[in-house]
Amino acid sequence: MHQHAAGYAAARTEGSASGQGIATSYGAAPGYGGAAGYGTAPVVSFQNVSKHYGSLRAVDGLSLDLRPGETVALLGPNGAGKSTSLDMLLALRKPTSGKIQMFGSDPYHAVKSGRVGAMLQSGGLMPEVTVRELVTLVTGLHPKPEPTDVTLKRAGIAGFADQRVDRLSGGQTQRVRFALAICGKSELIVLDEPTAAMDVETRRLFWNSMKEEVAEGRTLLFATHYLEEADQAADRVLVINRGRLLADGTPAEIKARAGAKRLSFRLDTVDERFLLGLPGLVNLEVRHDLVQIQTSDSDATLYAVLDAGYRPHEIEVTSLGLEQAFLAITAEDDRAAENDGEMI
Amino acid sequence: MAGTLALTRAELMRLTRNRRYLIFTVALPVVFYLLVAKQVKDSAYGIPFGAYYMVSMAMFGAFSGALNGNAQRISQEKKEGWIRQLRLTTLPANAYVVSKVLVSMATTIPSIVIVLLLGRFYGDVHLPLWQWFAIAITVWFASTIFAALAVAIGYRYNPDQVQPLSLVVYFIFAILGGLWFPLNGFLGKVGQLTPTYDAVRIGSDVIGGVSVPVGLAIGLVVWLGIFVALASVSVRATAETV
Repeated sequence: MHQHAAGYAAARTEGSASGQGIATSYGAAPGYGGAAGYGTAPVVSFQNVSKHYGSLRAVDGLSLDLRPGETVALLGPNGAGKSTSLDMLLALRKPTSGKIQMFGSDPYHAVKSGRVGAMLQSGGLMPEVTVRELVTLVTGLHPKPEPTDVTLKRAGIAGFADQRVDRLSGGQTQRVRFALAICGKSELIVLDEPTAAMDVETRRLFWNSMKEEVAEGRTLLFATHYLEEADQAADRVLVINRGRLLADGTPAEIKARAGAKRLSFRLDTVDERFLLGLPGLVNLEVRHDLVQIQTSDSDATLYAVLDAGYRPHEIEVTSLGLEQAFLAITAEDDRAAENDGEMI
Repeated sequence: MAGTLALTRAELMRLTRNRRYLIFTVALPVVFYLLVAKQVKDSAYGIPFGAYYMVSMAMFGAFSGALNGNAQRISQEKKEGWIRQLRLTTLPANAYVVSKVLVSMATTIPSIVIVLLLGRFYGDVHLPLWQWFAIAITVWFASTIFAALAVAIGYRYNPDQVQPLSLVVYFIFAILGGLWFPLNGFLGKVGQLTPTYDAVRIGSDVIGGVSVPVGLAIGLVVWLGIFVALASVSVRATAETV
């Protein structure tokens, strides 16, 4: 079993996903047994954390642990509760209930100890100073500072270090924010939508420098809604929607969740009722003689077709991208929420 | 504390690049003094008008510098997320506010000194050394009170609201405090409640050689208490939104 599978919060395991190494945490599920079995204390732990704004539940019973050295993507659509979660982690907001710990202490003291470097979407820069002056100032506040020139180079901002902060483009500003997150030797780096406002090339450079940071053994937590980013950069993906953790696993495991393979073939006589009963089936589309099946177990699905005596042709099995898997997971969750609403 | 001072140093460096504050804190009182000081022959608060006007213009420049620039900047920096960014550093939570007040205290010094020098060499105000210091320190303290008010306004309101609001506060305390001309009658009575009046009256009484009523000093301290309380309410109320 993959190492990540051991720690999943499993309040209710979805039928279609069972056997995929993915469990789901629905609602209040503080069942995650901490760092048991890993030997090292978690860098970050959320224990049944909620944040309510009036009747809106921005974060709703979130439990998770980050272990040292992991690169973890917090993936979710806009409004899923990513930023609120990170704000609470960084002591900018207080949870309505639940407990957050970082390096075994409360978030405020962890931040003040300099063990966390963070970059927020909403973080601003001091105007009227140059990039170098700003980086020097913030570096000076860090207990374990990196040399300013190293930070400027790593963040890719040495080229405009003497420009004034208030005269930069959106992408340049974003890189300066990144520089402020890495200007000290922090053990944990938290980035909220780090590559928003960056063009493709800048984004590539960004992830290259990020990999250097992580290679030094740092833990990285980043929120994103770019799926390919989570796929390429993270070794663990946390999918959240409407404030709850829906899935927790490697990008491959997330893809395997809820129909990670697409099976397609042509069939002369299509019996939809038979096809809908196939094992592992998550979604079925039939166009004339072309059958497209989204399945969590492509082998079992195909064998069942063959065992029933059908002889399909032009058989193709393809993997779905993280994007489709993500959409499937969140759509499923939204449907479940609607059903709950009807029952009340 | 070292971090707070580093931040204060950076703030001061910014200020030297921003010339706008000079207009409020230095240019305006200097121009007013040159235009008005010698035109009025009466006395005010029992001392020659030129001496009264020196104290009131020093107060005018200093308090408007502490109030206007700061409230606007704080509000702007909150909106842009700089205060949030600072909260991610190892700086203590109060470092931003402390550095703003320290910067305000530093920037009012030149305006006070320049207006007093103007009084001495243009307005022919001759005083013993201790009186110069007493006046300067009173005005300096009284203007610092307004740095607290600037924090209260800047934290709570967005930049669009701060602009008119701080202007209204500025006019109220300038006019009612008798900074532009001494007030009589009902308005004069009301004006005696302001810290700007307290400061100018202390300065005038020092110059006039009369004993300073202790109520004036108490007035300043009470206003400091009010503004600090407002500031802390504002900072707390917005703790989750900065």
